[in-house]
Amino acid sequence: MNLAQLKIGQKAKIVSLDFDNKETRRHLLDMGLTRGTKVEIKKIAPMGDPVDLKLRDYELCIGKSDLNKIQVEVIK
Amino acid sequence: MKVALVGNQNSGKTTLFNYLTGMNAKIGNWPGVTIEKKSGIIKGTKHELIDLPGIYSLSPYSTEEDIAREFIFDENPEVIINIVDATSLERSLYLTTQLMELDTKLIVALNMADILEKKGIIIDEKKLEKELGVKVHKISALKETGIDELIKEIDKKKDIQRVNVLDNKIENEVKTIQCDLIDKHSKFIAIKLLEDDERFDKYQTKEIKDIAKKLEENYDTDLEEVIATQRYSFIEKVKENTVEKKPVKESFSDKLDKIFLNKWIAFPIFILIMFLVYYLSVGVVGSSTVDMVGSLIDSFSEFVQTELESIGTSEILTSLVVDGIVAGVGAVLGFVPQLIILFLCISLLETTGYMSRIALLLDKIFRKIGLSGKSLIPFIVGSGCSVPGIMGTRIIENQDEREMTTLLTPFIPCSAKLPIIALFSGYFFGENSGIVSASLYFFAIIVIILSALVLSKFVFKHTSNSFISELPEYKVPSVKYVAKDVFDKVIAFIKRAGSIILICSIVIWFLLSFSFKFEYGVDIKDSMLASIGKTISWVFYPILGENNWGATVSAIQGLVAKEQVVSSMSVISGLAEDVEEGSQIFGNGTLFGSFTAASAYAFMVFNLFSAPCFGAIGAMKRELGSLKKLLKAVSFQTFCAWILATIVYQVGSRIENGTLNIANILVILAILLAVITIIINSIKRKNKGCSNCPYCDSCK
Ligand SMILES: Nc1nc2c(ncn2[C@@H]2O[C@H](COP(=O)(O)OP(=O)(O)O)[C@@H](O)[C@H]2O)c(=O)[nH]1
Ligand SMILES: [Mg+2]
Repeated sequence: MNLAQLKIGQKAKIVSLDFDNKETRRHLLDMGLTRGTKVEIKKIAPMGDPVDLKLRDYELCIGKSDLNKIQVEVIK
Repeated sequence: MKVALVGNQNSGKTTLFNYLTGMNAKIGNWPGVTIEKKSGIIKGTKHELIDLPGIYSLSPYSTEEDIAREFIFDENPEVIINIVDATSLERSLYLTTQLMELDTKLIVALNMADILEKKGIIIDEKKLEKELGVKVHKISALKETGIDELIKEIDKKKDIQRVNVLDNKIENEVKTIQCDLIDKHSKFIAIKLLEDDERFDKYQTKEIKDIAKKLEENYDTDLEEVIATQRYSFIEKVKENTVEKKPVKESFSDKLDKIFLNKWIAFPIFILIMFLVYYLSVGVVGSSTVDMVGSLIDSFSEFVQTELESIGTSEILTSLVVDGIVAGVGAVLGFVPQLIILFLCISLLETTGYMSRIALLLDKIFRKIGLSGKSLIPFIVGSGCSVPGIMGTRIIENQDEREMTTLLTPFIPCSAKLPIIALFSGYFFGENSGIVSASLYFFAIIVIILSALVLSKFVFKHTSNSFISELPEYKVPSVKYVAKDVFDKVIAFIKRAGSIILICSIVIWFLLSFSFKFEYGVDIKDSMLASIGKTISWVFYPILGENNWGATVSAIQGLVAKEQVVSSMSVISGLAEDVEEGSQIFGNGTLFGSFTAASAYAFMVFNLFSAPCFGAIGAMKRELGSLKKLLKAVSFQTFCAWILATIVYQVGSRIENGTLNIANILVILAILLAVITIIINSIKRKNKGCSNCPYCDSCK
């Protein structure tokens, strides 16, 4: 399961970041997307991309092309 | 002492900076990069305060972030004030854990204290101080509370013992590596070496790499991720011990986003807001203010003339003052009220948080033409002035997208181009002037889209990239902050009118009043400027339908400042006509009397799209990095401008004299359609990837 597959309101835990691009991965780690972090899909842009996540008490927008490289585990 | 403000974006650095430095804030010019680093003296002290761009980590992701990191390492501030947004403590403290590893005195300013309560958050600052081993002060930069104690802290000699953030295994190895490093910030560098950050390659050794490899065996992933994870675990623990959070209802921002990011009404609202900005600044409201100020300046000019004559000033000097300085500077100052409205609108878009929503809204569309949603921010800021717009491109992480945005931002009509638009559309299109000036903005948008398509197809050819951006909460803008922002920008504009424009006006007056034999009062056709203009006016023949030296020299002066085009025309026509003082630039018999609606529109188009002013060219140079790229960019712009203006005039003048019949129009449309289809098809091919066509090699 990756983050791009989740719907608004769903919550998940980060499992891994599968990026070839080291810079992007580093940036996402810096922004708090470390393993085990809980995220919630908060808003989706009107055209379906990018998606707004809630994590660590703030909101981060990420484009779909990166979201599908973030593996997660859905939590109920 | 040098004190640096370091913190995340939107944490309140600039607000605190403005409060602390007051109106004494000077805009500092550092070599290489400028303006975005502001420096000023803290009121009542001798400390220099530096406001840096926002960063989330000391491993920068965008160019803008690099400036802040470089400053800390190269300029060695004695004190770092780390501004932390207390309402999103977890993410903000990540940077703090990195700053704690530097050998610089660190003070944490826990900002936004005023809204903590409303959000149901209680922070025990004394406990936080202990948990971090760093002095913490709760402040509100906006409500100006707690700041005195923060400033007193700067002078205190004693620093408390910082806490270790990482686990013992790593901290021990860091100590070992640290021993061999003599440079400042050895702990920070040691950690970076374990992470194998290439920015610190000059310190890297084989021994350290071996240590890192051995250390890594303890974990199931690379050290970069391990260290980031440990920082956040540390923060989670600190937060647990110091923060109490009561659950709150749906936030105000979420409610607003239900409207502003709503699937159906988000776009109509966006268009409405943009229309409103336009209507207020450029459209009806804005242009009515220009008329008012214009007549004021006219009466001022008359007043100066009579006064000078009555005290017996010589004819030459009176002409210099009235026809040169007052005409030139006045032509530009007339637009100040319009600019105030424009700057106000942009400032409101920025400070309320709506600008971030626009980027989100349009990202998908912009991606299709090879730009990023964030490109829109430079474009909107650029409608005020290209220079900050171009500098704003730094928020775009991808280099190709950034360079394209840099190149395209000057295509947006900036406030200095407004005088040109207002003058021409007002005079030649009368009642329709509103529609005509609006049409130029649409023209600009279409040109940007087409240029972006062409550039991303043939020049940059990059693969699409990430959009990662914090979504700030909506904020009620602070009146003081917005007022100061607008005030600063307007003052800068007026200063330019009083310096560059004034000097240019004098030079133009001189070149117009004298011939090459230094005779004063020659017929304007024999002046030096006319001679110069005549040698190159053929360049503009296809745009104007005539060799007009006056328009030629005026357009070239757009390089100095775009509003100078209007000043120059005003000076030229004022001198040509000695009967009616300060009368219409386009009056019968003047040099510009032969302009028609078609050539007026074409001339506007040329001035809009051609190379921007030197200020913007300088900013482009900084962002593009090399002279070669700059030359390419500026030639591209000027080439586009010339072609477009030529098309406009050639088509327009035929419409005017009725030679453009249905058959001609149809043929032209057919050709245009064909060209557009070819471009769109090639774009589609690019997006789809290879479709086994015979041109596989050139396609890739
Ligand atoms: N409520 C509240 N808002 C603040 C405070 N400090 C700054 N702001 C607002 O936060 C936003 C970002 O501030 P700014 O100084 O531009 O942040 P910077 O990006 O760090 O320079 C602005 O809208 C400010 O008005 C504060 O103490 N309380
Ligand atoms: Mg700022």
